[in-house]
Amino acid sequence: MSEDLLKIENLTTSFRIDDDYYAAVDHVSLRVRKNEILAIVGESGSGKSALAYSIMGLHTRAKMEGHIYYGEQDLVEMPANQLNKLRGKDISMIFQDPLSALNPLMTVGRQIEEVILLHQPTSGKAERKRQAIELLNKVGIPRPEVTYLQYPHELSGGMRQRIVIAIAIANGPKLLIADEPTTALDVTIQLQILDLIRELKNDMEAGIILITHDLGVVAEMADRVAVMYAGQIVEIADIYTLVSNAKHPYTKSLLNSIPTVSEVKSKLHVIQGIVPSLKNLPREGCRFAPRIPWIESEKHEAHPEMHEIAEGHFVRCTCYKHFYFPAQSEEDSEHVNS
Amino acid sequence: MSILEIKDLKVHYPIRGGIFRTVVDHVRAVDGVNMTIKAGQTYGLVGESGSGKTTMGRAVIGLNHISGGSIKFEGKEIGHVKGRSRFGRDIQMIFQDPYSSLNPKKRVGDIIAEPLRNFEKLSPQEEKKRVHELLEQVGLSPESFLKYPYQFSGGQRQRIGIARAIALRPKLIIADEPVSALDVSVQAQVLNFMREIQRELNLTFLFISHDLGIIRHMCDKIGIMYKGRYVEEGTANDIFESPQHIYTKRLIAAIPDIDPRQREQQVEFRRSVQEEYKEAHQRYFDENGLVYPLKPVSDTHFVALPQKG
Repeated sequence: MSEDLLKIENLTTSFRIDDDYYAAVDHVSLRVRKNEILAIVGESGSGKSALAYSIMGLHTRAKMEGHIYYGEQDLVEMPANQLNKLRGKDISMIFQDPLSALNPLMTVGRQIEEVILLHQPTSGKAERKRQAIELLNKVGIPRPEVTYLQYPHELSGGMRQRIVIAIAIANGPKLLIADEPTTALDVTIQLQILDLIRELKNDMEAGIILITHDLGVVAEMADRVAVMYAGQIVEIADIYTLVSNAKHPYTKSLLNSIPTVSEVKSKLHVIQGIVPSLKNLPREGCRFAPRIPWIESEKHEAHPEMHEIAEGHFVRCTCYKHFYFPAQSEEDSEHVNS
Repeated sequence: MSILEIKDLKVHYPIRGGIFRTVVDHVRAVDGVNMTIKAGQTYGLVGESGSGKTTMGRAVIGLNHISGGSIKFEGKEIGHVKGRSRFGRDIQMIFQDPYSSLNPKKRVGDIIAEPLRNFEKLSPQEEKKRVHELLEQVGLSPESFLKYPYQFSGGQRQRIGIARAIALRPKLIIADEPVSALDVSVQAQVLNFMREIQRELNLTFLFISHDLGIIRHMCDKIGIMYKGRYVEEGTANDIFESPQHIYTKRLIAAIPDIDPRQREQQVEFRRSVQEEYKEAHQRYFDENGLVYPLKPVSDTHFVALPQKG
């Protein structure tokens, strides 16, 4: 068992809408270990990006409660000037859209040098250039000296994402947060970027939080998975357990609703209703209950908690014990390869 | 019977240069593609960004002018007809982004009624009745009539888009990445729904997507495009069970596998495909990096192989 790199305890991030605060991240507890990829999965509005931004301290107006321990330090309490020394160095982030994450008016080289300069103020100009080119090389840019002088618009989407990654790893981070790093990319390019992230993890022994809605990407990359729904974590397990033995109704429904290449279903499972908006979140009881109305309300807990049902496998609420899919959707699926 | 027949379709854009802005070259977005869609079928058009798949779709409905070739809809040539009559009532489109394809200032009732107003002379009462029917058909409540698009979720908006597309009872619908902006669970909803209305209204779909999982789920016949040309065409089984072109093999190998226990084999498999790709690249692509014309390998399966091979 490797040590914890990041320990999140009871983190609640609330946003003010009109005169009230609404929790987008609600009592989340998580650990990220060294040299592991923890995937956070959920649909839009589940709070997964809000969680990532909370760790990075990028919510300036939000009310944050709870603790985010990085080593001995609590990031929630930390003043901005100290946080700035950590951000981009120990903890850094790969953003979703490489086009808007890069400055269109600066050359790629200068954008990389900027982060190096920020955290190594004594480094010389030549040294920074050497480092920048080395980084470009590391993220698999074919001709780093040429790309060093180019602007973002001259590069393809995959190349741009590599630049964003180069910037994120410039100061050798111990924790890397990747927020939907491949959503904007084609499958073949996606594969290259995922390979790169995996390689970097092994190289730097960093912990990686991979935020995505794509369960295929999760199955390829993650060591452990946390599934989020409506601001809460509803299930945590290692990837093998999650795919073969998911318990929470939401996880099961998600797994059932994706069309895959290996299995042709005549009908995809549809989760009834919609993800509730921040203001309309049910604040009491099981938040997923409205979307599985055929499960009687007694089966849910009044105050759903996380239950450890096997080592490292946590599920929220007791409704999973009684959950079944309503007839039809499962029967008419057929395996092509069988 | 084939409802759409495309022969040697070309969509070229001029590149201008020099002092007099003379045409120096062309971007060959679509370069000599043949496609036949049978009535009631779902035809999947796959490709990476920049492959020309969207240009194809837009050319069929008349949003792009064509530089050569012919598009026949039910035996009638529509490729060179200018103006509005071309994207007539029989061909409709479902757009990718349900957020930008609906006018935010219009009520849902008006959005859905617009094609009716353009093509059918209905009295206000008839029109209202028809819009309510359509709302019911796509599973939206009657109150939606007076609401604005922002009051709906992504999946519901896409249904509004679908209601608008089926308002004139078209025969062919071009769906350009209809679910890529949606969450998985909503995606499932829209895909199921598209299949239902297809059966109900006997629709033909030209389904454009980069997501091979969805293509496999939805389509009977599949065409794979690369740089404006067809790489491979065949039934879903032809393409997924026995891909012949190295480009197709690589594309299929790149799809993330949902089973983590296969990770090791998957990595191994991809490495071998990647090696094959590098080795065989010369044989499968010409000196410009383009693929060769299609050659039949079976009755349904066509592959872009070099002339001699």
